[in-house]
Amino acid sequence: MQHLYLHIPFCHRRCSYCDFNTYANLEDRIEAYVAALCAELALLPVPPAPPAERAADGVLTSATLRPTIFFGGGTPSMLTLPQLERILQAADRLVPVQQAEVSLEANPGTLLGADTPALDYLRGLLSLGIRRLSLGVQTLHDPLLRVLGRTHTAAEAKQTYLLARQAGFENISLDFMFGLPGQTFADWQAVVDALIAWQPDHLSAYSLILEERTPLFAQVTSGRISVPDDDLAGAMYEHAIEQLALAGYQHYEISNWAQASTQPKLAPRVPAYACQHNLAYWLNSDYLAAGAGAHGHIYPYRYYDILNVDAYIHAVQQGQRPIAETIDLSHADLCAETMFMGLRLHAGVSRTHFAQRCGVELDATYGDTLAQLAAQGLLAHDAHAVYLTARGRNLGNRVFEHFV
Amino acid sequence: MQDQSFVRNFSIIAHIDHGKTTLSDRLLETTGTITSRERREQLLDAMDLEREKGITIKAKAVRMHYTSADGQDYILNLIDCPGHVDFTYEVSRALAACEGALLVVDAAQGIEAQTLANVYLALENDLTIIPVINKIDLPGANPEQVAQEVEDVLGLDKNDVILASAKEGIGIDAILQAIVERVPAPTGTLNVEARALIFDAHYDSYKGVIAYVRVVDGFFRTNDRVQFIGTTAYADILELGVFRPGMTALRELAAGEVGYIATGLKSVDECQVGDTITLAANPSFAPLPGYRPAKPMVFAGLFPIDSNAYGDLREALEKLKMNDAALSFVPESSSALGFGFRCGFLGLLHMEIVRERLEREYKLDLLITAPSVEYQVLKTNGDLIEVDNPSEMPDVGIIAAIEEPIVQINIIAPKRYIGPIMELVTSKRGSFEHMEYLDTQRVLLKYRMPLAEMVIDFYDQLKSRTQGYASLDYALAGYQESDLVKLDILVNGQAVDALSAIVHRDMAYGQGRELVDRLRKLIPRQMFEVPIQAAVGSRIIARETIRAMRKDVLAKCYGGDVSRKRKLLEKQKEGKKRMKMVGSVEIPQEAFTAILTLGEGKQEVRKA
Repeated sequence: MQHLYLHIPFCHRRCSYCDFNTYANLEDRIEAYVAALCAELALLPVPPAPPAERAADGVLTSATLRPTIFFGGGTPSMLTLPQLERILQAADRLVPVQQAEVSLEANPGTLLGADTPALDYLRGLLSLGIRRLSLGVQTLHDPLLRVLGRTHTAAEAKQTYLLARQAGFENISLDFMFGLPGQTFADWQAVVDALIAWQPDHLSAYSLILEERTPLFAQVTSGRISVPDDDLAGAMYEHAIEQLALAGYQHYEISNWAQASTQPKLAPRVPAYACQHNLAYWLNSDYLAAGAGAHGHIYPYRYYDILNVDAYIHAVQQGQRPIAETIDLSHADLCAETMFMGLRLHAGVSRTHFAQRCGVELDATYGDTLAQLAAQGLLAHDAHAVYLTARGRNLGNRVFEHFV
Repeated sequence: MQDQSFVRNFSIIAHIDHGKTTLSDRLLETTGTITSRERREQLLDAMDLEREKGITIKAKAVRMHYTSADGQDYILNLIDCPGHVDFTYEVSRALAACEGALLVVDAAQGIEAQTLANVYLALENDLTIIPVINKIDLPGANPEQVAQEVEDVLGLDKNDVILASAKEGIGIDAILQAIVERVPAPTGTLNVEARALIFDAHYDSYKGVIAYVRVVDGFFRTNDRVQFIGTTAYADILELGVFRPGMTALRELAAGEVGYIATGLKSVDECQVGDTITLAANPSFAPLPGYRPAKPMVFAGLFPIDSNAYGDLREALEKLKMNDAALSFVPESSSALGFGFRCGFLGLLHMEIVRERLEREYKLDLLITAPSVEYQVLKTNGDLIEVDNPSEMPDVGIIAAIEEPIVQINIIAPKRYIGPIMELVTSKRGSFEHMEYLDTQRVLLKYRMPLAEMVIDFYDQLKSRTQGYASLDYALAGYQESDLVKLDILVNGQAVDALSAIVHRDMAYGQGRELVDRLRKLIPRQMFEVPIQAAVGSRIIARETIRAMRKDVLAKCYGGDVSRKRKLLEKQKEGKKRMKMVGSVEIPQEAFTAILTLGEGKQEVRKA
């Protein structure tokens, strides 16, 4: 399976809610890091080519997907065009760049303030083959953006989006969060209205998760600021579902929407603009990963790379694969992960896909559990797949825990 | 054979934290019984739990050799005794094995209720008391005032007080010398029928029950066949000896001596504290005074969270029981919780210790119901029954009268807290009996109150309302008729027997309302709406609703880190294992003891 995640762990500033493997003020390491990343890519095994045949019944399986490369962060848009070019050249051995969906996470604040004019930079990305842009907008309320520690304003986010369109991007995703500190329902309504007006091709809306060891967690637990309760966050989520459906967006995963465009769907309930790289995660496919703290999955194991940037660079310089830990997976793990990842998709888990991925039949493996969840109104079946009901999507964890 | 005139048997009486353990260690070191190098942290408190709770649960007895100022060698037996109200009977038996006691009082804190209670016990047993004022090196120490208090309150001569700092080693020699000079030698008779007092016992998997004994008359030898007068059990002495501090076998134990007898018995039930051991071949028919079989005062249901663990729980209780004559248990079946055991304890601390040992040593996940007391219920047909489980309370129509156990409590606190204490005790149906100034600042308050109120977080509330300054002691003082009703709790329309409580009629409404409010906060939202109701008889007196859960989903991608997502799901699932399915509702453990924390106002409740 030709999927590759590349982690760029640098940020100008860490967001107050962020617990990813990211570092501020390490700009002086970027050049060495890019070299190390290219060297690591040279050490990775070449993944098998994708299966030639799509499933006969047309349902979503690994064979549906194109090869993908995903620059995640951190802030990948802190890299220069030549740096990105070098990385893609090294990656091409593993995943053919020209055929791949290549995504890059970009921070509106970084693009505008950089040495290269934003429009030139964005055009440069396209010429490198990076045709999918994921903009971390998060919200459109400036005081809230400051609480989150974001470096941009709402106006700058919009300006960046328009520049990306002007540069020629035809696949732009916007990342939003709801359930933010002090956010009211009306605030969120205004955000949803605005983002619909922008007409992005793809949208992600995540409920804020307070992670321990983040400044925001400390502020909330100490009572200095408060976040909406589950009921309000639930109402925000439902509002987004309703309004985005009315605006022609197809909800295809718990937190993801894409334009229901005129282009043919990838598969039933999977719109054309769905993020193919993330689909690989949800299909529990194998994927390679490179970069400090990046997580890869080659059944029967998962691995992640050394978190610390200097230690990562050092390990690669020694000619070693910079793996921090390898986690062995049992067949039961494979089945469980295929279920709790796959059920996040509106397309659900198809019997064809489950059998292909796990080598056993879905109903033979989970028949009782599925029947029990269906009886509770959380799960539904059709001829091809099992999938969450609307209620099941709201209570996803209650469903997923049955499989672990 | 040891000449009794050179033996001294003594104990140490102290309030928690007044320094008993440190002083014991210091005495053992000074007499060379242990070296500093050998000294484990708090040698006498061997169990982890004891160390954590800072109290001694099991009495121990250590033999020391001491050469007095005049060059004479003495044997000093230190009998350690528990320091908590739940174990008053055990304390009284340990004291009965001694001729003297060191009374250790903190130089800054002065006398506490527990100290007072134990001094009275010592005086009842005719012990010579040596007052020691400890921690004189600490800032805030006021030895003169505390000495005056000792004289005024306890009637001991303040000139007899020894000033010490066990931590700094000050006064240790004076204490040892005073033990030799002031504590009387034992006066047992050697050539009569042998008698020994059991003041503690524990089960040893190799030697059976080990009795900790004070030989009062005659002597015992290895292989002697012995009889227990109270329990009428028989046993052969497999081994006997003394603690130095490890078990050291001897050929015999004679009148005046303190040591152990290994009996080979399988359970401490047959070898109870306070019982008298005599020789089967030449028995005494005069038991030593003061024996009473262990009697639990507080009862609670223990249920395994995983119903498959019922057998494991029974096995664990049986094992604990081998070492704990005061623990009782009978099978109990709850419609809400399934099969478990109704257990009897000496008090709340004893209950907590048993629960923790079951969870820690036997790895059991347990659910414990709110503690109850034993009611005497007179039925209209004239039958008198004992009810220690609210769910077994007969229908109100056939009850003629209910009597509940009453305790006499003593509280010592600074006088500025008299108001809050009065208010608290009154809210707990207590009645004032007596007040006495111990000095210009501190008072002794005496009340009578129902034991049922006492077992419900009374001590915690007393501590919080007096900022930790009050100390408490209680003793059972009979039964009294009260206007009691059974408060039922319905979850999702179904009465949950394990949540029932016996409450006073006048307080039923308030407690019912508060309890459902508390349960609403404790029971996590389910996938459907759950009504919580309180009822007396068929009348609903309070209702709250837990709204249906709206959203529970991990809406975050974690950049391909599926292992993390999986761990979160596993953790969530693990959390649910700590809950009990009652009908279709998941109820967390804390809900079953929610009644314990009523009256704490608007304190935040942590959601499971």
